[in-house]
Amino acid sequence: MTEVAMELIDLKKTIGKKEIIKGLSFTINRGEVFGFIGPNGAGKTTTIRMMVGLMSITDGDVRILGNSIKQNFKKAIREVGAIVENPEMYPFMTGRQNLLHFARMIPGIDKERINEVIAVVGLEKVINQKAGKYSLGMRQRLGIAQALLHKPSILILDEPTNGLDPAGIREIRHYIRKLATEENVAVIISSHLLSEIELMCDRIGIIKNGELIATQLVNDTTPDNINLTQVTLEATPINQAIDLLKTNYEIDVVQEGNQLIFQSEKEIIPNVIKTFVKHEIAVYQVGVSKATLEDKFFDLIGENTIE
Amino acid sequence: MSNFFQLVYNELNKIYIRKSTWAMYGILAALIIGGAILTNSFEDLDKYENDNWREVLQEENAALEQEIAEYESDDFILEINTSEIEKNNYHIENDIQPQYGAWQYVLENAGLLSIVSLLTIIIAAGIVANEFRWGTIKLLLIRPITRTKILASKYVSVLIFALFTLLFVLIFSLIVGALFFGLEGMNPPIVIEQGAGFADVSAISHILSEYGYGMVNLIMMTTFAFMISTVFRNSSLAIGTAIFLMMAGNTIVSIFMEKPWAKYILFANTDLSQYASGGEPWVEGTSLGFSIIVLIVYFIIFQLLSWFFFNKRDVAGN
Repeated sequence: MTEVAMELIDLKKTIGKKEIIKGLSFTINRGEVFGFIGPNGAGKTTTIRMMVGLMSITDGDVRILGNSIKQNFKKAIREVGAIVENPEMYPFMTGRQNLLHFARMIPGIDKERINEVIAVVGLEKVINQKAGKYSLGMRQRLGIAQALLHKPSILILDEPTNGLDPAGIREIRHYIRKLATEENVAVIISSHLLSEIELMCDRIGIIKNGELIATQLVNDTTPDNINLTQVTLEATPINQAIDLLKTNYEIDVVQEGNQLIFQSEKEIIPNVIKTFVKHEIAVYQVGVSKATLEDKFFDLIGENTIE
Repeated sequence: MSNFFQLVYNELNKIYIRKSTWAMYGILAALIIGGAILTNSFEDLDKYENDNWREVLQEENAALEQEIAEYESDDFILEINTSEIEKNNYHIENDIQPQYGAWQYVLENAGLLSIVSLLTIIIAAGIVANEFRWGTIKLLLIRPITRTKILASKYVSVLIFALFTLLFVLIFSLIVGALFFGLEGMNPPIVIEQGAGFADVSAISHILSEYGYGMVNLIMMTTFAFMISTVFRNSSLAIGTAIFLMMAGNTIVSIFMEKPWAKYILFANTDLSQYASGGEPWVEGTSLGFSIIVLIVYFIIFQLLSWFFFNKRDVAGN
């Protein structure tokens, strides 16, 4: 039984006469890592700002564990930890002073919890330095620490791997997965780095020009997607191979050098090879690649246009 | 409610953790010490402190009268010197020996109130605008606290800063005054001019009333700076306009003195001490009650504007 953590109901935002967000509706479940992707200017950050009450909602609603961010702000936001855009901190205070500052704003956060959070993001060594001297990666970690202080049910991170080195990215990714599976936190991550999203998320929502154009499970194995398997095959004599594929399997083949590229269902590959062997065609290699998220992404959004 | 104290604690912490705030106190301390050194070296402070102080005063009076005779046509000198003579006479008639000491020095430093106003304006101008500049406003507003409460905590913190700074001026002046000039007693009488001539009052009550009247202007200009800071999210603009108005306030009133609406100008009403001396008010049609009502109306307008803009605003990127 999945529990809904956040629900967007026909969310709209109009600034002046321009409709920035044109009716977003989707839900995010507890224990799920949801990737929110789209080209620049698609409305990701605007949507996140409305989720956390920084921007007023023109129409529709955001419900957090059933509480409307509009009508019941305090109850709704209590369950949310977030970084919106860059992780900005008070530069004249140390990392720890920054965390103490935000801890004072929510009852029930003790010193122990603060130390715990510092350990989680790995800032023990620099926590007593001024935040103004932090690198972007360190600030990102401090930002995440700040968002985790009050054990939120929903964690919203805007471009969380920005400025982190590869090791840091892997660490954060690992931690986000852990939060979702072990503590049943719903994590919402916005990004334009598709490969990152793919590795971290269970599900992605693709937004373009203020509209949600698709939501998709990352490890999607529904029959629909089997078609997307792409086969690369090297065989000689190549012309005979093309003919066989056309006549026996009705597959259109593209020839690239001495390689054949075609789309087909994964299951027929063994049959194809058997047929080739029967006709004494030498098969040197067969490659199967799943269409990547990136291909899907560009399929869905068309070209990268900003209106 | 304890939550609100935590918010105020946070705000004060952010004010006092910065070195620039301590630099402000450094400047105040330098002014107070510097003032004491100047007073000490240029004025003959001991001249009354012997048994013939009555004669010293009489000699002074004679000199003042001679000056009046010399500059016959000068009304300014006539006024000043006459007042000085009357004061000296009051000392002689009531047998109050003039003294110069710490209390007197504290009283003279009431002029520093304008510096305190200036510093408080700088703090008020930054307290909201800086959060926007640092980008930390986003982290403040995504807590289970209403925007009204956050704004209120910031305003209260500004007032507490003003109070601390004022206390610093009072206490530090008293200490420096005591070190340089000695203490005249725990609460010595001070001779001041009141509506019906001179009178002696207790030093502490007079100091409190002097500083108290000054607080009116301080609070109004601080609230104004706070409003500009909140509405325009720009601390320089807030500092600039508030200081300009503080300096030019009286001139503005003078320019529009003849207009029937002059009495509604804020600065026509900020000096409440004018009603205590019992004379004609500065601007026609004002009275203590009238001024208090005008001040309250301005105060409410400033607060409402701050509150409205802070609550309404979409917090977008910079």
